[in-house]
Amino acid sequence: MNSLIRFIVKYHFALLFLVLESFSLWILANHTYYQHSKFENATRTIEGYFSNRIDRGRQYLKLRATNEQLAKENLDLRNQLSKLSINLERLQLAQNDTLSDSHYLYIPARVVNNSVNKQNNFLTINVGKLHGVEQEMGVVTNNGIVGIVAGVSEHYSTVISLLNVELKVSAKLKRSHYFGSLFWNGRDYREVLLTEIPQHVALNVGDTIITSGFSAIFPPNINLATIKSFDTKAGNFYTIRASLLCDFKQLNHVWVVKNLHEKESEMLDKKEE
Amino acid sequence: MQNGLIKYSGLFVLLIFLQLFLFNNIQLSGYINPYFYILFILLLPYDTPGWLLLLLGLFTGLAIDAFMNSHGVHSSATLLMAFLRPYVLNYLSERGEIENKGIPSMSQYGFSWFFRYATILTVAHHLVLFLIESFTFVNLGATLWRTILSSLTTLAFILITQLLFTHRK
Repeated sequence: MNSLIRFIVKYHFALLFLVLESFSLWILANHTYYQHSKFENATRTIEGYFSNRIDRGRQYLKLRATNEQLAKENLDLRNQLSKLSINLERLQLAQNDTLSDSHYLYIPARVVNNSVNKQNNFLTINVGKLHGVEQEMGVVTNNGIVGIVAGVSEHYSTVISLLNVELKVSAKLKRSHYFGSLFWNGRDYREVLLTEIPQHVALNVGDTIITSGFSAIFPPNINLATIKSFDTKAGNFYTIRASLLCDFKQLNHVWVVKNLHEKESEMLDKKEE
Repeated sequence: MQNGLIKYSGLFVLLIFLQLFLFNNIQLSGYINPYFYILFILLLPYDTPGWLLLLLGLFTGLAIDAFMNSHGVHSSATLLMAFLRPYVLNYLSERGEIENKGIPSMSQYGFSWFFRYATILTVAHHLVLFLIESFTFVNLGATLWRTILSSLTTLAFILITQLLFTHRK
């Protein structure tokens, strides 16, 4: 025992070295990079803090190079943008073509004021003269027509709602293509009447009514309403009650329709007169 | 003693900081990785007790390991360096050039002595370090090159700082 202690005292330096080196090599052999100890988090925090500080300084030194890189990137993006915007225009035109034979331009708008409970209802939308809106343009949503622009100011427009007893629009049956006159009777904001459909036409409840496209205000073939019921009280013609597809109480985003061929068709009309 | 403790604590923090944020950013090639922090072990007082020397060596290595995510690589190498230090000092003092006291720095013992002292320990440290790091003897040539080039760089930095902070008496 004595000799052991003497041995340890004599060689304590080398022994301590061996113990510590074993410990160190044990760490070396047993580590993984996926440990998440608090200690490692602490060192990472300290390291990250100073690295961030230093990187900020380094960024400052690299400002010129960074600037040049960004300017180049900007240029590239600008070039891409110009290419893409041409394509986008083409696509938009193509889309309008699928909706109608003539060209229609759509101006997006938001309804800022609306009513459904009067006989003569109007809406206000947040686009006006500055956006290219003019009187007698149509206003539509994706599932129906909203109305016709009555007046425009610089930034706003007033729209005669379809729920206005004085407004009549041309509409037709999707299945048989017979057209008639669609209007609101001032009672239920979810219901409109379609008249002037001759009695020999076969009707079914649930048939779809679409815009006719005769008026040049609205593009053709927009789904409007479905037939709820019909009767023959008015002589040779049906009186059809139809429920509107679009809920006027929840109108928000609408499109103003600009007919690009309006002048042309108007001129044609005048010639015939 | 109190004064020395504060001084060495400051030196420790400074060297770790310099290593992490200055010398680790020197990436000229895979062969030049200076490990300047070993200056701490070199500059410990001559009469530092053996056990403290070893513990400080381990601790220094562990601190570097903790920040560099190298888990035991630096602690093993630095511990070995601390272990070798008394023998190197003994070997150099046998030639009768030094008095056994003070700090083994350039200002105390001169350029030539310090150069040999630092070279032996730096090369030893770097050799062990790069061997452990590569964990194989296959690319021994590359490891040796790495040891030589990195040792030269480390030594250059150590000697420059020693020259800059030498107090002529």
